[in-house]
Amino acid sequence: MTRKLSTGGAINEAIAIAMRSDPDVILMGEDVAGGGDRSKEGTEEMGGVLGTTRGLVGEFGMNRVRDTPIAEMGLIGTAVGAAATGLRPIAELMFMDFLGTSLDPLLNQAAKLRYMFGGKVKVPLTVRTVCGAGMQAAAQHSQSLYWITTGIPGLKTVIPSSPADAKGLLLASIRDDDPVIFCEAKGILNQVAEVPEGDYEIPLGEANIVREGSDVSLVAFGATVAVAQKAAKALAEAGTSAEIVDLRSLSPLDEATILTSLEKTGRMVIIDESTPRCSIARDIAALCVDKGFDFLNAPVKCVTAPHTPVPFSSVLERAFMPSAQNVLDAVGEMG
Amino acid sequence: MATAISMPRLGMTMEEGTVVEWPVALGGAINKGDLILIFETEKAENEVESSTAGFLRHIYVEEGEVVPCGTLLAAITETADEPFDVDAFHATENHPDQDGDAGLQVAASPSSGIVDEAKPTARKPIAPAARAAAKKAGIDPELVSGTGPGGRITKQDVESYLSARESLVTIEEGVHLEVLIAGSGETVVLLPGLGTDVSAFARQTPFLADRFRVVGVNPRGVGLSDAPEVDVYEVARTALDAAATYEGAAHVIGASLGAAVAIELALSHPERVKSLTLITPFVEVSPRLAAIAQGWSRVSSEATPETLAASLLPWFFSSGFLADSAVRGRTLRGLAQTVAKVPAQTLARMAAGMEQWSGTRAEDLARLSVPTLVVAAGEDLLTQDANRVAEAIPGAKLMVVEAAGHAVALESADAVNAAIGEHLASLAST
Repeated sequence: MTRKLSTGGAINEAIAIAMRSDPDVILMGEDVAGGGDRSKEGTEEMGGVLGTTRGLVGEFGMNRVRDTPIAEMGLIGTAVGAAATGLRPIAELMFMDFLGTSLDPLLNQAAKLRYMFGGKVKVPLTVRTVCGAGMQAAAQHSQSLYWITTGIPGLKTVIPSSPADAKGLLLASIRDDDPVIFCEAKGILNQVAEVPEGDYEIPLGEANIVREGSDVSLVAFGATVAVAQKAAKALAEAGTSAEIVDLRSLSPLDEATILTSLEKTGRMVIIDESTPRCSIARDIAALCVDKGFDFLNAPVKCVTAPHTPVPFSSVLERAFMPSAQNVLDAVGEMG
Repeated sequence: MATAISMPRLGMTMEEGTVVEWPVALGGAINKGDLILIFETEKAENEVESSTAGFLRHIYVEEGEVVPCGTLLAAITETADEPFDVDAFHATENHPDQDGDAGLQVAASPSSGIVDEAKPTARKPIAPAARAAAKKAGIDPELVSGTGPGGRITKQDVESYLSARESLVTIEEGVHLEVLIAGSGETVVLLPGLGTDVSAFARQTPFLADRFRVVGVNPRGVGLSDAPEVDVYEVARTALDAAATYEGAAHVIGASLGAAVAIELALSHPERVKSLTLITPFVEVSPRLAAIAQGWSRVSSEATPETLAASLLPWFFSSGFLADSAVRGRTLRGLAQTVAKVPAQTLARMAAGMEQWSGTRAEDLARLSVPTLVVAAGEDLLTQDANRVAEAIPGAKLMVVEAAGHAVALESADAVNAAIGEHLASLAST
């Protein structure tokens, strides 16, 4: 059975399923309850800045759905400690831009504990965080910083592209024994699509071919999968068959699926919402040149944002974000 | 099976340590976890426990000695009397720190092959996938014409090259020629000139194919034809190649160097030639033609086909033809495609053959007995021997297209076709 849900709704459902099936799962973050136990008084609680966790405090109570102070270092540090000592916390980092104020517990503790203690400690932590541009949230609330967490061994980084994927990937992330950074791209939060009911997981580290094609590979993830779909449709009308690889996980990275697609098409475009330097796009471009050199029939193209802060102006913000036209231009340049 | 005990590194600043005491006597039994070594660094004594059970078989560093971190201190063997080579173990297990670069190994170069030998050049950009496909097929990717941006050779180009090659005509072992065949009837053989392929007869082929079986021959090294590694593509050899592409006797049409090949064929195998049509022929290479051929080879090796075509255009066509910019642009693109089929090496080999042939047949023209049409161009900058050829060959007819350059068959196709048609028709009626 399926029914339509928004990505936010699918995330909410995944958290509820995880909390029902495992009493160690807790949810914590700034305003994730939002005013606490209001639902019991007949008032709707806030459920996080975007309302994603609305209703959970009513079902699971304030012990398991915990509001924290606006202090990301404390919030994330507490969550890492809780994970290392037996709980399975889901911590909400309101915007990924706040990674800077919470990085040490992730970079030096969560990512390292299992390794440094010879596997005697595990950190089953999920940090849910909203990333990306498109909501006119300006330069400090719109960044796509998943390239930072992807670059840290010991952290997993996951980014769904649809409501159904969000649910399955979040359940797998919560139940994974390693720390997972779960990125919720703003571009897909309000996307509504069919979502299977019940409890299901989508394995981490496996990319998904969302469209088969033979002439060019479009590697995308998060909000850029929709960009790739739009470009692929236009390319198909012009007689070019595009294959779309949705990465789903940035770390671990499914190199095999990327390279198999490149071998099939000989041409590679990577579409990444972040700025270009040290990006996922260039990381995959390097992979293609290194391990897929003999497959290349044209230069690898990266479609990314420019190397600037995210603009507030909606006109500039649209120009900043990778578009289907950018993808078509890149394919055109490849010849 | 022996286990090494080496001087540990306790921290980033530790460079060396002193062996203070060997608590177990040489030859003594050891259990896993036993105290096996006491050493000192930075005024502190440290203990080392054994990671394995066995016997203290050999001590390399005695008490009181100071050695760098990583130095092999002693060996533990599983049994007291198993074979143990003291020096060999030292050679493999002694890794003192100061020798940081000693273990570096440079990997052997990848195996040689087309991929490694063929360096990318400005003339022929090659996609890695095309390079790999060419290597797999054992062909030189430089022979493939590229359809990608800037003439880049793509994997698809290599694939179409390989499938086209399957229809090549075998001349001898290792030599396959690309032969274009159209129409049916008596055979007409088309022989292109220096640095061009059968597309030089693009405007004659459909006209002739209406009544004849047209056999257009790309000589060695041109288009898909194989390019044997020799210094000179001799005109006589090219003539024999041409003869091998058809059966019986044929009407032979050659342009420029192709005319030289036609003359050579008619002289060496008169029974294979029904008639000759010699377009802008020569019997001797003029100093100007030699200089142009040299420049052509040089530009070909250093520039793109487009650049080469641009440099050749004014030599090939008349002023009147070049006056129309649309015609000029179209012709330039066509010429670029043609010259792209002739690698610089082929051009040099053909030019060497042309120089070698120059003058050798001047006296023999009088021996030719086949009906011959000579076509000359009034504005031909490259060859001016048409009159001389027409006069020397008994019974030869001369047709001059006044307002045309060397590439008269392209420039004034209608006039040339009419003359060829009349020439061949007159032979059929007699």
